[in-house]
This record gives sequence, C-alpha cells and structure tokens, in this order.
Amino acid sequence: MNEKRHMGLKSLNRASNTVIYILLIIISIVWLLPFVFIVLQSFRVENTYQVGYVIPQQWGLDNYIRLWTSDFKRWYLNTFIIALASAVLITIIQLCMSYTLSRFRFKLRGPLMRFMLILGMFPGMLTMIILYRVLADLGLTQTNAVPGLILVGVASSGMGYYVSKGFFDTIPKSLDEAARVDGATRFQVLYKIILPLAKPIVIYTILTAFMGPWGDYVFARYVAMGTSAGYNVAVGMYSWLTNDQINNWYTTFCAGGVIVALPVTILFLCLQKYYVEGVTGGAVKG
Amino acid sequence: MASVKLTGVKKIYDNKVVAVHDFDLDIKDKEFVVFVGPSGCGKSTTLRMIAGLEDISEGTVEIDGEVVNDLQPKDRGIAMVFQNYALYPHMTVYDNIAFSLRLSKVPEDVVFEKVNKAAKILGITEYLTRKPRALSGGQRQRVAIGRAMVRDSKVFLMDEPLSNLDAKLRNQMRAEIILLRKQLDTTFIYVTHDQTEAMTLGDRIVIMKDGYIMQVGTPTEVFEMPKNLFVAGFIGAPQMNFINTKLINEGGKYFVEPFGVRLPVDGEKGEALAKRKVQTRDIVLGVRPEHIRLAKPGAGAISCTLIVNEMMGSEFHLHVETKDGTRLIVRVPTVDLNKAEREELVSGHEMAVTFEGKVMHFFDPESQTNLLV
Repeated sequence: MNEKRHMGLKSLNRASNTVIYILLIIISIVWLLPFVFIVLQSFRVENTYQVGYVIPQQWGLDNYIRLWTSDFKRWYLNTFIIALASAVLITIIQLCMSYTLSRFRFKLRGPLMRFMLILGMFPGMLTMIILYRVLADLGLTQTNAVPGLILVGVASSGMGYYVSKGFFDTIPKSLDEAARVDGATRFQVLYKIILPLAKPIVIYTILTAFMGPWGDYVFARYVAMGTSAGYNVAVGMYSWLTNDQINNWYTTFCAGGVIVALPVTILFLCLQKYYVEGVTGGAVKG
Repeated sequence: MASVKLTGVKKIYDNKVVAVHDFDLDIKDKEFVVFVGPSGCGKSTTLRMIAGLEDISEGTVEIDGEVVNDLQPKDRGIAMVFQNYALYPHMTVYDNIAFSLRLSKVPEDVVFEKVNKAAKILGITEYLTRKPRALSGGQRQRVAIGRAMVRDSKVFLMDEPLSNLDAKLRNQMRAEIILLRKQLDTTFIYVTHDQTEAMTLGDRIVIMKDGYIMQVGTPTEVFEMPKNLFVAGFIGAPQMNFINTKLINEGGKYFVEPFGVRLPVDGEKGEALAKRKVQTRDIVLGVRPEHIRLAKPGAGAISCTLIVNEMMGSEFHLHVETKDGTRLIVRVPTVDLNKAEREELVSGHEMAVTFEGKVMHFFDPESQTNLLV
C-alpha cells in the first residue's frame, strides 16, 4: 500500500515536472527568438531592408564589413571608453564608499545613508535638464559627450552603496582589527583583506558599472545633441532606424546589435558564477 | 618588553554610557596581568583601548613611558589575539602568520625562518599550507597566537582567547599559554571572564565590575583577602557562602553568631579585629565552601538539612539548608568520608557543619567592603 502511494507520488511528480519543463521551454523560445532573428539577419546579404522571411537566402559578412566603414567604429569606441572608464571609477568609488559606511562611525552617517537612499528613489531622468546645463557650461556636450557621460555616471556612483555595504557588513570586524594590529593601514585592510573576501560583490559592481553606460540611450542622446562624433552605439545605431534610413541600414543595424552584445555576453559568461553569488550573497546576508 | 601604565582612563560611548571609569593601573615589564569580570564589566573595552582599537575618552595610556593615545594600533608595539581568532580566511596558515612581517617589508627568507620557528613552537608546521577553514578550533587558536608571536611586540594582548574552545582543549591551551609566556618573556595582558584562567595564568589579577576596578592583586591576595563582597563571590568556585549575622566584641574577644550558634573568632583574624578596635556590629560573614567542615551535632555546630549532593569525583558539593532557610554550599573531599558516611549523604539527611575563625571573612553590609582590608 505504501509502495502504491509512493508510485502515485512519483508519477504525479513526473507529470508536474513535465508541465513545468514545457512551460519553461516555451518561455525560452519566446525569449531567445529575437536574438536568433537578429543574428540571422546580420548575415543576410541579398537585401538591406526588412523582408518577409527569417533564414537568409544568401549568407555573408557584408554587413559586418560595412559596419567598419561607417561611423559605427567611432560610436563603438566612444561607448567602450565610457563603459570602461565608468566601470573602473564607479567600482573604486562605490567600494570605498561601502567600506566607509560599513566600518567607520562618524557624525551624520545615518542621515547621509537615508538621504542617499531617498535621492536614489527619484528617477534619474528628472535631473536631465539641469545636468545638461552643467555639462554644456563645462563644454562637455556634443563632440565632448564622452567625458561628459563618464562624469555624470561616476558622480553619483557612491549612492549605489547598499549591496556591497550589506556584503561588507557580513565580514567580521575583528578581521579589520587584526589586520590593523598586524600593521595594515585602512586602505591595506580594504584591498588585502576585505576585497579578496568580497570577490563576488566586486565582480557584481564591475559588471553593473560596465553595463549601465554600455546600454545607455536616453541621456547619451541628449548629451550628444545630434553630433555623430559624440554618439554611443545605442544613439548612433538608432539613427539608422529612421524612416528614410531603415531600408539602407536594417541588416547593418542587426550586425551592429550582435557586435554590441558580444563583450557584455563574454564578460557575463566568464563572471556569471560570481555574479549570482554576489547578488544573492549580499541580499541574504546583508 | 615594556611597562604599560593607565592613568585615569575612561571610556564614554556616544550614547553617554560610561563603560570604563577612571582606570588606574601600572603593569610592570614582563608581568602577566589578567582582567577578569562578568560580561559588560569593561574588561575588553579597556584592552581594546590599550590596543588602539577603541578611542580613549579621558586619561592616558603609556607603553614603555610613551603616551600612545593618538597612535595607530600598528605603531603601539602590541600584538593581539582575538576571541574569534580573526584569521584571514582567504590566506593559508603560512600567509596568515607572515602577514604582518610582509607588511613591514621583512625579507622573505627572514619571514620563512620566523614563521617556521613560530609554527614549530606551536606544533602547527604540518598545517602551514592549509586554509583556516580546514583547521579545528584549537589549531586556529594556535595560528592566531603564532600570528601575534612573530611580531616581536612589546606587549601581548589576549582577548578571551580560550572561550571558544571546549573544556578539555581549554585546559590544554591554558597550560600552553603558560609555557608560551615563559618562552616569549614579554608583558602580557589577558582578558577573560573565567576566574580559573585568571587564577592560574596571572601574576596579578584585575577584577572589574560595571567599569570599575574592584581589586588588583596576586591570585593569593584576591583569594585570601577579597576587598569586597563582589570579589569574594567572584573568585572561588563554588562561590563563597555569605551569612548575615553579628560580630560580637566581648572585652577584646570576638565571636560571630551565625544561625544562633556562637563561634569564636580566634587566631590571626581575632587579633586583626582587635587591632582595628572593631566594636560589636552587624556584618556579612563570608566562608568558602571548602572551609566548612562536617561536624557532630551539639555545641558549636550549625544543624542543617541536605538538599542536593553533587558528586564531583574528587569531592562532594553539598547544598544544605539551615533552620532559617539559608542555603550554604559545603565542599567535602571524597577521601575524608568512609563508605557509611558517603551513603548517608542523601537529600533530607539531617546533619551539622562548623568552621573556624581563621577562615572567616567579615564584610560591612552597607559598603560591602572587607573590614580587614
């Protein structure tokens, strides 16, 4: 009788698993289709405009070659410089900020943390007009959009302290104290003891700091103000999608999309293990 | 090797809580001083102020004659062992011990020599390539001690280093700390809440309560001449029995009358009372459990009923209740009793106890201080 019930449970389990898997497969197909579609279009050479079929009739690398003869090169470089500089600077500032808030006790520490939390709740778009004004006065718009965008991204980076502070809080303070007695300065404590222990969160910070500017569109477009030399890839490539351009550039646009996705995908695949650990570790323990 | 001097040291936290009040202490070169007291008495805070991990609100700390109040921990010439070991989890045992040497740019061959020497002394050579998580509690504590050893510091600070270990390991490590102290021959300041550790390790013991020093003295001094009721109760296990009674002065001869039984205070204690011209008065009488003897019922014996008998192996801890309901603890060595006497010791057994004048302690019920200190 027990065995019977056991068998019953087993088949019920199997049935529910089957349903779950079918559902998951459908969702993944829906989710993956656009990517597959874009990759396929990027290799199509017979037409440059949208067609009624998915599989190209003629395959080739023409679209990719055309990318490198267009302004895309400049946009890509712009984006890469912005993302890389932001990633480095934001990571340094954010980790230092988090360590400070986690370990030091100073006047107004609590109010400062709450203030930043509340500030962070306002949509960034609200600041666009005044930020543009400031950047314009500094001469950091249009052709100089790249340093302008780096400045804007880095300036507010300290406010994203929560996740890494939460992670740092879980590392016992006595490790800092032991290291300080051992002769380490505060900075040595951070990079010799705390950061190696917080590797997942460091990688999480680098990844998010890199991906933010990499996919930025609204602000980047606003700061570049129609000057192609100041575009990043998102803004530049969007200019190919206007009514009078799309028929000329559609497949090149798809090739650009693939190239844009590549570094982020590679970065993500390499660091995926730490990324998951970083997000969940910080959240649960923090 | 250095002396440590604390003058009027005070710790006031931001929320105005005073953790340590006017702490004055002179620690001599190569002395082993133990801070002991219940949790929250300020002993760890005081140690951390000496280490530089906690700001000093008032007063000065001097190490080797130099005021170190504003010096960073690394510049104070101290080494410290933490309660939770505080080993760096991402480094091997070797790297943990070598950390401070590398920070001070010691050549790698000297580092190698020093780490191996420390490891040999502590018996952890075979674990040098392991990470701390692959070690047992006792081994971790050895690594923590090793890390402190290689610094060749002037003062060795230990913050409850044994309290995370199990009882057996604690006894073993305690003996090893005594040996270590002989080898290092430096000044030690050791914090613990365990009076056994304090008694066995310390040249001098500082007993603290609520941020105040209750008594400073050698283990013998604090055991035989506790300054007040707190020290008397804190040092010694099981703790001293306290009896509210009267001290009677009859023409220079002294008596106490616990539970209506008149006992003479003769010998040294009687002379000391006479010298101080103590008059008849109320007192709290203190007697240690090991100083109470079993007696035959009759004159000079306090009759009582046995409540609980704890057999400790080498001795019995007898919890007895007197006629007025006061509980006393009596410690009787097992070898002092024959088989028949042992078998009598069951709950409800009517018995009698007594003690002599030389083992009595006299405290003022108001100020709680010892009348003879």
